[in-house]
Amino acid sequence: MTRLFVLLALTLSLATQPRARAEDQELGHLIPPGYRPAEAKDEVGLWSEFERIEAAINKSALLVRDPALNDYVGEIVCRVAAAYCNDFRVYLIRNPSFNASMTATGMMQIWTGLIIRASSTDEIAAVVAHEIAHYTRLHSLEGFRALKRKMSTGAFFDIGLAALTGVYGLGQTAAAMSYLSFSREQETEADLFGARLLALASYDPHASYRVWEQLIAEEKAAEVQREDPGIFAKTHPEAEDRMRYLKTRVHSRYGPPDAVVSKDQELIDVLNQNYMFLMEDQIDTNRFGRTKQILERHATIGVEPSLVRFFYGEMFRQRNQAGDLDLAMSAYRHSIELGNPPPEAYKNLGYLHLKQGDLDQAKDRFRQYLAAEPNASDRAMIEFYLEE
Amino acid sequence: MFNRTLMMLALAATFAGCATTGYSLVQPGINNAGGMQVTAGSGWNIAPAVITSGARKGTQLWTRDGIYLDRLVLIPAVADGEPLLTAAAKDAALPVFRKDMLPNEVEELMESTLVKYFGEGNAAVSTANLRPQVFGSGRGVMFDIDARLTDSPTYKGRVGAFIVDDKLYTIWYIAADPYYFDKHNAVAEAVITSARVAAP
Repeated sequence: MTRLFVLLALTLSLATQPRARAEDQELGHLIPPGYRPAEAKDEVGLWSEFERIEAAINKSALLVRDPALNDYVGEIVCRVAAAYCNDFRVYLIRNPSFNASMTATGMMQIWTGLIIRASSTDEIAAVVAHEIAHYTRLHSLEGFRALKRKMSTGAFFDIGLAALTGVYGLGQTAAAMSYLSFSREQETEADLFGARLLALASYDPHASYRVWEQLIAEEKAAEVQREDPGIFAKTHPEAEDRMRYLKTRVHSRYGPPDAVVSKDQELIDVLNQNYMFLMEDQIDTNRFGRTKQILERHATIGVEPSLVRFFYGEMFRQRNQAGDLDLAMSAYRHSIELGNPPPEAYKNLGYLHLKQGDLDQAKDRFRQYLAAEPNASDRAMIEFYLEE
Repeated sequence: MFNRTLMMLALAATFAGCATTGYSLVQPGINNAGGMQVTAGSGWNIAPAVITSGARKGTQLWTRDGIYLDRLVLIPAVADGEPLLTAAAKDAALPVFRKDMLPNEVEELMESTLVKYFGEGNAAVSTANLRPQVFGSGRGVMFDIDARLTDSPTYKGRVGAFIVDDKLYTIWYIAADPYYFDKHNAVAEAVITSARVAAP
């Protein structure tokens, strides 16, 4: 019976594309929960290839292993996936760019860049729902077949080779393989079906277009526009087009958004607990326009203000444009005044005093730093200045 | 993907990693890399120009067991406003050196530079143990690095950096951990701490 269903589903899947603007009321899952390939040899081969890559991702040094963060993301995935929950393995990858991806085998990758860009858990759920829609609509399998048609066998296996040699990261290779051949129609299907899955899981469906609004805003704020904006963040006008039709559809189907958005304490807690490494990774990208945009969002949604102000200081200080050092000093002071600064706020404020030639003020801040961080690994450097 | 922002040096090094020709032995004693003088013992090999062809002028790449396992990168005389690497991609957003940088800023410059070096999104780099270090007759800093990559060994390293005449001189030792970092750390650190600006 299941095999018949799968055959029927595969046939339906292939017969329904390409098509313009899918109507989401027509859409449903094309595979049952617990689906495993049983018919097509190429699909079995695809699963085997992805399982090999998944084993490597499982060992990646960039896999985030923090239990609370993984639980938070895992619960979102399960709530959206509903009966399909057990079909997915979720890998949270330490990468400050915005992305999530899903392979045909149910290997879902979520990059930390998605977490730091979210204004609400609903927005993370929106991206997850989009990826689950790709999975249960068998887009990944279709994409794999399209990719194989386009590429010689040698080229296909070069992807695997690249993964092995590290020219491309394994995680990125897997992500690329999962999305490379998604058609515009498939993306539209995943957008619309994803919004429906979002609503069915009692998340706010308006989050589905807000994600795009924020990505567009970030792109506009960027000082250096990316030549390749990544997997999910497609370039204009596609992003604006997708944002518009999602907004129209969601408004017409679910009505206007709530006038007042309540505080998302769960997301705030997750961000607060992991903020230092999440934002340090973002700062290391040297993309300060984007970082500023993310910080503005964090300030708005209520992330610990001392931490947000500290990273404003980091952003201004490292950007180092005219007037930035004053802005950085102000941000560090603000972080300290707010009562919960990281010890580095004292230190970096001290260094800025040093830069201004105010050794006494610098020493005061350096002493505060060592008091807050007695085991500071750079104690020798700080003591060098204290002894001057 | 953002692998397009991989630095030319890293790409060239990767593609040429299996090359068995073109390496030359570092002569024990005093060596000069673009105006940076270092003193080396035996056992180092200089990577061929094809590997560093995309790097800044004067950059040298040394190794003992092969560049995937250990490498010593010498980057001399980076002027104010310049990055430590070169990039083919216009959107690489490379961090640049400023002549008024303090020790913490040099450390941050290296951290961000190494993220670009390994491939943005493909590496999480952290630094620690920033400390003063004498280079020749001048002062500089040393610090340690830890680089976690998507699908490679974890790398550990040491960086030496100093500024002379408003130019930054850096020398980094990066090696796979465990084993290779410890194997060559002492001889690598000896080279790093010997660095100074070559006499005109």
